Amino acid sequence: MERTEIAERIRTIISLVVKHDNFEMTDELTANDVAGWDSLSHVGIIVGIEAAFNIKFKLKDLNGMNTMGNIIELIRSKIE
Amino acid sequence: MVFISISFVIFFLVFFFFYWFVFGRNLRSQNLFVLAGSYLFYAWWDWRFLSLLIGSSLLSFLLGIHIEKATNERRRRILLYLGLLQVLGALLIFKYLDFFIVSFVDAFSIFDITTDIRTINLILPVGISFYTFRIISYLLDINSGKIKPTADWVVFFSYVSFFPSLISGPIDRAQALIPQLEKKRTFDYDQATDGMRQILWGLFKKIVVADNCVNVVDEIFDNYLNVPASSLLLGAFIYTIQVYADFSGYSDMAIGFSRLIGFNITRNFNFPFFSQNIAEYWRSWHISLTTWMTEYIFTPLSFSFRSYGRTGLILAILLNFILVGIWHGANWTFVLFGLLHGCYFIPLILRGTINTSKMTAKSKLLPSLVELRNISVTFALVVLTNIIFRAESIFQAFSYFSRMFSPSLFAGTYTYPRLLLIIALFLSVEWLGRGQQYAIAGLALSWPRTARWAFYTVVIMLIFVIGGKQHQFIYFQF
Repeated sequence: MERTEIAERIRTIISLVVKHDNFEMTDELTANDVAGWDSLSHVGIIVGIEAAFNIKFKLKDLNGMNTMGNIIELIRSKIE
Repeated sequence: MVFISISFVIFFLVFFFFYWFVFGRNLRSQNLFVLAGSYLFYAWWDWRFLSLLIGSSLLSFLLGIHIEKATNERRRRILLYLGLLQVLGALLIFKYLDFFIVSFVDAFSIFDITTDIRTINLILPVGISFYTFRIISYLLDINSGKIKPTADWVVFFSYVSFFPSLISGPIDRAQALIPQLEKKRTFDYDQATDGMRQILWGLFKKIVVADNCVNVVDEIFDNYLNVPASSLLLGAFIYTIQVYADFSGYSDMAIGFSRLIGFNITRNFNFPFFSQNIAEYWRSWHISLTTWMTEYIFTPLSFSFRSYGRTGLILAILLNFILVGIWHGANWTFVLFGLLHGCYFIPLILRGTINTSKMTAKSKLLPSLVELRNISVTFALVVLTNIIFRAESIFQAFSYFSRMFSPSLFAGTYTYPRLLLIIALFLSVEWLGRGQQYAIAGLALSWPRTARWAFYTVVIMLIFVIGGKQHQFIYFQF
């Protein structure tokens, strides 16, 4: 799957959870840059990503999910 | 040595002078002096527990390095568990062992089984709940690869025992404080004056507000069987103001003293009483503890329970808040306090409004009616739950509630006009300054110098003239 396609799907999931799309999808994007993306919504975003890409994250994967670039790479490594 | 004492004033003045003018030349001597000052500060409280602090620091420092070096997962885990066991073990023994013993004996007595297990009545080492959490976050962050262990023992020992926040927080995380300890501090006039302003506001909160509340609260809670119901409600309200003024006042002073020696430590409060729901309240109350709990307790729990949807989220929140409650002390009242706060999140989760957070009355003088209703409901929940927080037992809390929710709730009450005026003044200043780091951070800054100094003089005079009799900080017992 292309990187841009993964990014677009993630964008849709985040928008649904935080209820707005006032953010730009860059590799440097972090939770702090998106209003409403906090510890409570984080799990909702993870569940959405798991369902959308039919993958399962492990607890230790969470530590590496600190930027959008890392999240995309993690998803790519799991779907390949 | 408490912040509000002659001994601390002398200590800090001497420390400040030597720190900047004698030991300020290089990083190593600055840090060694911070460490020496921190140990002197701690030993002043109780020198006997200094060995526990040093021992925990030494073991955690070595384990941190070896966790990083460990080549296989099993060894890494064993070292991590060893580190957690030594700090949590000390906390459990000193803080919770008697509670477990009493609960165990009580549980058996229900079945008419008498046990001859005695409590051990250990003194709680001051600050143990706070520095234990610093060490745990350091070890867990190394294990998860978020940080690298520091190779400099002076830096690590200073991180654990950093005196402005050693006794009562804020609980700084390694990734925030250690980089500041690894870089030489240079004196910044603006940072120092801002620190002094925050100390001044912390002193006002503690001495003028909290210390004036103490006697009234004690009078009402100690005689709750003999005062009218309306006074019991007033007592719960004043107690809530007292806890906030006391603890946030301490945090302001801790942050201010840190800024005077060139550090920026974690913010601990963000005007929690103006929150529009309970989630917002906990995002702005004792922030350093709630973010700690969120990262190391709530996130792993909610992740593990994610396949159960909203039920999983509710379960994670309930468990998280029970632990937040227990952190405060070994008493079932704290368990119930935490459980209830967890329950208050349930409507937000079910309605899907848990993530909505907006600044109340942004750039307006007054809140809208809807905002006022939300603030009032949230504040009422906090006030009522604080009765359990303040009570010595669950029985006493329910007895207080049953007396309060009686027809005399609407009868006459003891009034404390002077205290209520002080509280009204305090809350008004907090409301006007709610967009800043602390209420008076920007107040008077744009005024002419004379007016500004007149304002500070008035605050200082208020502290001396209407300050209450000095009482110990509430959070020292935790």
